[in-house]
Amino acid sequence: MLEAIVSGLLTFFLAPAAIILGRRLEVVGVDIHKPWRPIVPKTGGLAIILGATAGMILGAHASGFQLFIPVILSCLVAASIGLVEDLREEIDPRLKPLLLIFASLPVLVLGAYSPRPLIPFLGKTRLYRVYPVLVMASYPVICNAVNSLDVLNGSALLTSIPFLIMSSVIFYMRGDLQLLILSLIFLAAAVAMLPYNMYPARTFIGNSGSLFIGAGITSIAIMGSIEVAAIIALMPQIMNEMYVLFSIRGLKSAKNIGRRPVVVENGMLAASEDPDAPITLLRMICAGIKVDERRAVYAMALISAFAAFLGFLTHILLLGG
Amino acid sequence: MGLARNILMIIILLTLVWAIFLFASYVITVTVLYTLELPGDTITSIARVVLGIIIAGAWILGWYKLTKLWLYKILLAGRRENHSN
Repeated sequence: MLEAIVSGLLTFFLAPAAIILGRRLEVVGVDIHKPWRPIVPKTGGLAIILGATAGMILGAHASGFQLFIPVILSCLVAASIGLVEDLREEIDPRLKPLLLIFASLPVLVLGAYSPRPLIPFLGKTRLYRVYPVLVMASYPVICNAVNSLDVLNGSALLTSIPFLIMSSVIFYMRGDLQLLILSLIFLAAAVAMLPYNMYPARTFIGNSGSLFIGAGITSIAIMGSIEVAAIIALMPQIMNEMYVLFSIRGLKSAKNIGRRPVVVENGMLAASEDPDAPITLLRMICAGIKVDERRAVYAMALISAFAAFLGFLTHILLLGG
Repeated sequence: MGLARNILMIIILLTLVWAIFLFASYVITVTVLYTLELPGDTITSIARVVLGIIIAGAWILGWYKLTKLWLYKILLAGRRENHSN
């Protein structure tokens, strides 16, 4: 458990330094959901990356490289792509999924997966040829899905935490200590960043932070063979990404979409009633009412917690734990 | 009350999507178990994978259609009714 404690403590104590660095380098963004539109550093993800990576290196040193090294490499590849976006500008949304495929390579090359996922009713399958393709596709999908929910202060972290709690419980019940430690490392880093990223945010986690967490979640799902539970637990994230893809008909940058899913009036969020506006989870939460940012994030977290419960239920009841 | 109603409605939507996922898994299981009785060759294996992809694709499409219906006919419709009252 020392690995998770190190991950949490390092993230918490490195966050102020990451905030100062963001201000110095002017890696900042405008918090558009607040009436006073504050300028906020978007370098908080660096503290998560350093904290969780330190925890994983410690884990690799203590209990073997086989599990932790592919995860470290996958997460760092995804985080590098996010860092380029944070430092320069958004990568072409058609190119970004292709780049995120590279995050799957450490897991594939080092053979850190079992091509026999459990499917409800069917049991253990044999997908020796198809599974590597699914692994390649899963990184862009999940990383972008986690990234797409990073719309409000603390939303990416609070919607990722239920999955990490679910996976920790499953690995604890299974008695798999290494995977439990891996889950707890990410959970500790996410929880430690909350005081800085929650409303009113002192820092954003940036694309580097959200893609790092997305790659971590994907790696945990693949290496822990909890693919189906992960799909169910990540339904809010996946459906948010899917809605946007379907409703704007293709991969487009958020900046290039004329119609916004929500409108902000005096710090209150309201869903757009424009039938051509993208369908997002936030738009559904705000449908017909005005919600303040803090309550909207709690609503997202509650929905994610419910999805994680369904994922847990699926794993325990239909997949035999 | 409005926010609680919306959260509840989204949770019901998620439960429905989950139930449809389990149904899709069941359909895949029945189909695959049937094809396992056939003599194993490459074409059968490919057909199994293609069928799995089609069923999964249908689930995703159904999920999107259901969400669209949920947003415009249930979540946003509630507001229009309140306005007309």
